[in-house]
Amino acid sequence: MRHTGLRVVAATVLAATLAACGGASPGDSTDENGGDSSGAGGGGEASAWILTGGGWPVTAASFERWNESNSDQRITVEEYENDAYKEKIRTSVGSGEAPTLIMSWTGGTLADYVANEQVVDITADTQELVDRVMPSVAQNGAIDGTTYAVPMNDVQPVVLYYNEDLFDQVGIEVPTTWAETLDAVEAFDEAGIIPFSLAGQSVWPELMWIQYLTDRIGGPEVFQAVLDGQPDAWSDPAVLEALTRIQELVDAGAFGDAFASVAADQSADAALVHTGRAAMLLQGSWVYATFHTDAPEFASSALGFTTFPEIEGGAGDPGNIVGNPANFWSISAAASEAERQTALDYVNEYVYDDEQLAAMLDAGSLPPVEGLDDQIAQSDDAEYLAFAYGLVQDAPHFQLSWDQALPADQAQELLTNLSQIFLGEITPQQFVDAMNATL
Amino acid sequence: MTLSIRSGAVSRRAARPRTGPPFWLAAPALAIFALFALLPLGGVVVLSFTEWDGLGTPSWAGTDVWFDTVSDPATRQAMWLTLVFVVLSYLFQAPVALLLGVFMAGRQRYRAVWSVLYFLPLLFSSAAIGITFRSLLDPNFGLSRALDSTAFRTNWLGDPDLALYVVVFVVGWCFVPFHALLYQAGVRQIPATLYEAAVLDGAGRVKQFRYVTLPQLRYTIVTSSTLMLVGSLTYFDLVFILTGGGPGDATRILPLHMYLTGFRGYEMGPASVIAVILVGVGLALSLALSRLSGAGRMQSQQAGL
Amino acid sequence: MAAPGVIRERPNVIGALGGLLWLLVTIVPVYYLVLTSLRRQQAYYAENPLLPPAAPTLGAYRLVLENDFLRYLTNSVIVTVVAVALVLATSLMASYYLVRSGSRLSRGVLSVVLLGLAIPVQATIVPVYYLIVRLGLYDSLFALILPAVAFAIPISVLIIVNFVRDIPAELFESMHADGAGHWRILHSLVLPLSRPALVTVGVYEALQVWNGFLFPLILTQSSSVRVLPLSLWTYQGQFAVNVPAVLAAVTLSALPVLAAYIVGRRQIVSGLTAGFGK
Repeated sequence: MRHTGLRVVAATVLAATLAACGGASPGDSTDENGGDSSGAGGGGEASAWILTGGGWPVTAASFERWNESNSDQRITVEEYENDAYKEKIRTSVGSGEAPTLIMSWTGGTLADYVANEQVVDITADTQELVDRVMPSVAQNGAIDGTTYAVPMNDVQPVVLYYNEDLFDQVGIEVPTTWAETLDAVEAFDEAGIIPFSLAGQSVWPELMWIQYLTDRIGGPEVFQAVLDGQPDAWSDPAVLEALTRIQELVDAGAFGDAFASVAADQSADAALVHTGRAAMLLQGSWVYATFHTDAPEFASSALGFTTFPEIEGGAGDPGNIVGNPANFWSISAAASEAERQTALDYVNEYVYDDEQLAAMLDAGSLPPVEGLDDQIAQSDDAEYLAFAYGLVQDAPHFQLSWDQALPADQAQELLTNLSQIFLGEITPQQFVDAMNATL
Repeated sequence: MTLSIRSGAVSRRAARPRTGPPFWLAAPALAIFALFALLPLGGVVVLSFTEWDGLGTPSWAGTDVWFDTVSDPATRQAMWLTLVFVVLSYLFQAPVALLLGVFMAGRQRYRAVWSVLYFLPLLFSSAAIGITFRSLLDPNFGLSRALDSTAFRTNWLGDPDLALYVVVFVVGWCFVPFHALLYQAGVRQIPATLYEAAVLDGAGRVKQFRYVTLPQLRYTIVTSSTLMLVGSLTYFDLVFILTGGGPGDATRILPLHMYLTGFRGYEMGPASVIAVILVGVGLALSLALSRLSGAGRMQSQQAGL
Repeated sequence: MAAPGVIRERPNVIGALGGLLWLLVTIVPVYYLVLTSLRRQQAYYAENPLLPPAAPTLGAYRLVLENDFLRYLTNSVIVTVVAVALVLATSLMASYYLVRSGSRLSRGVLSVVLLGLAIPVQATIVPVYYLIVRLGLYDSLFALILPAVAFAIPISVLIIVNFVRDIPAELFESMHADGAGHWRILHSLVLPLSRPALVTVGVYEALQVWNGFLFPLILTQSSSVRVLPLSLWTYQGQFAVNVPAVLAAVTLSALPVLAAYIVGRRQIVSGLTAGFGK
């Protein structure tokens, strides 16, 4: 099943890892008893938690492959729903109950794990893998030059999906600038079609709007100032303008009047588009797979995709994208040495191996790996994947979702205040004041 | 639940037991209760004076945590919402449950059949009810498409001015049957002779309800009210699944505020402060209710011991 | 209004109308639930949600059953049965002690336990979590049973004490005079005479434990110990857009309680009213 080339690579990495473990690696903690509680028996058995939905079945399948050929190094896998995972993983890590492989979106969470020495340094052990990954993605797993996490699934840029039939029906073009966007909103609204589907109940899809707008208007430096904790960083005029434009959109009926009841976890936002009730949807790349599963006919005939519109006079590069670079694996410092070894072996041998890459492309998800153009051109979803691949490769800046980038308490404040902006309950200035208070 | 009317007399006689049962009979209950309820309660009080992100070790922060949390506008808002939620829930559930219970106690056959149907919500867990109502109230794919009227296209759970009322209704839908069952059982305890006497006195249906049913049900009312009030004060599951506190902070009642602060924002200190506040208010409420209501009853209990 | 027994008056029109209204309010969501669970996934977006599906299917149910539903059901049954048995046993013993022991200690114990009525479960969840981890019970069914029992004890004791107190003191004294020990008194006197209270407590706590969401959410993580309410939550993530499948899982989760109700309804009702003969 595995290719000889990869096997050689794996063996080399394995040898390197063994050497590293023999010595004292920096993140090494002498915890033997943490291992028994994480679900693994003895020996080299490890554990991992993954999510459900989207492209996750591919990851689950890769663990199955691993377990079939490594019965002495089995990895037990638990699947969680997105929100449930975020809540559980933190308490598990905090109490030394974490699985061997800890999945994160990097950002503030990973920084917390590192600060509390709960994940280990894997710079040397994963160099080979990291070198194959797009730098804009891989860099998220490093803190101060040390790798603590490596990407493990698809790159997830946020793109603008649309229903071609509805554009034909109303007789307008897909907007590429902000002015065209406002015109499109008006045209669809008059035709009784929701211009943009938005899963406001889940709140996090609203982040995509403020992120793109802020980036287009003020560039990535604006949010970087927030991340750096500069006083009053939220007061940047770009943030205020982004918020104002959001409220203008809401007032113009761009999201319909029921967006706050639409939930993303049931893909109701995508359903609005493929059932012809809404024209466009700003969502992560994983929704492409959702369209194909839920409405295959629509997906092959009328699903269009493009980039977020330009904003005239904005300081940000229109090539910038936002989204999740990927999900990342870290290795728990509470795991025993044998467990860690198993986890590392899995990561080095099975993450982005040829079979995994093929399975991902089949599922319409995009591996953040360099040099895939040929394989993408041959895949069933060549058009979409090539679009997204180009988008990611050409992007001068790839902004990690703000709620993942920020520390958890600030992220919560952000989500609450942002949902109130969309509901028109607070003004942009009130938002800025509330967010500045968290810095 | 079902209460005897002659307890006062009985308990006086019970006042002088010569060989009471040994303490160890109560030990298992006490041990489990102390270990898994009292001890964690103490733990949460201690945590409320610390700062802890759930990952490292808690660090002592003294009364600052309390000051910051209580002065936080989000906490104030959550307190206010909780008050509104508790009052509205009670005003909705108590009359409906009482009337329904009395109605169900009737002997007509159709009522027996209806009673079985009234029982339906009790079959479902809060998770089940939350998921069902979210789907049902979806303005795009739910009821709105069944009845082609704009009234049902309302954005039930997505409108910040409406969501709290909808949550009150769904929570009521969930709990009314249980309380109705309590009242039904209570009504069936009332001696028929009382009603016969009332009829002889020329009392109509309303007067019978006012002068026989209500007074006879007073202990059931106390029990049911306590459960309702303390229950809605600390109610979490259904609100969590229905709205998660949203839209905005429109349904972010205290228990949810505590959970989101603790398990989404990872600020265990402030979350513990909110927890302690909840416990405090809950205790005060229970005590006040038992004082207020069953003064006579409670005293006879005390005498009995 | 609705006097039981002998009194027959003109039919209660307002009562019946009100009753009918609430009946509708109760039934519509359940009707919608069952109906939707019988739809095909595509039809969910197309058909009128209150009309019967054009092509009903049990496919959603099959999908749910194929996804470990029975394991979650078994877990829920085990947790509920064990927890209720423990609650009943410990609360009954404690109530006997609390009522019949005249000591000052018992009075203190009762007030402490009754204060427990107001302890909200969520408020203590963080310390409970650490306690469970320390005791090595994390991610086991015991992690769900023990805290559930602890939080059930106050209300159970309150209810049972009210019953045991109403047992005439002479009965205790005469049994004692006959040389009966505490176990025998408990078994032959307290148990039978407080049966209605035990039924009430049993039904109430069974529903509480069965429906519990927060403890399973925090105190377990593996699918091997997942209970039904939590499984509904995870099914929602797993089936995502397949709303009929999610609602089929919801429907299935209600069937065991329905079965229990059908079998035990008579007993529950008579249990509530028994023991008041004289």
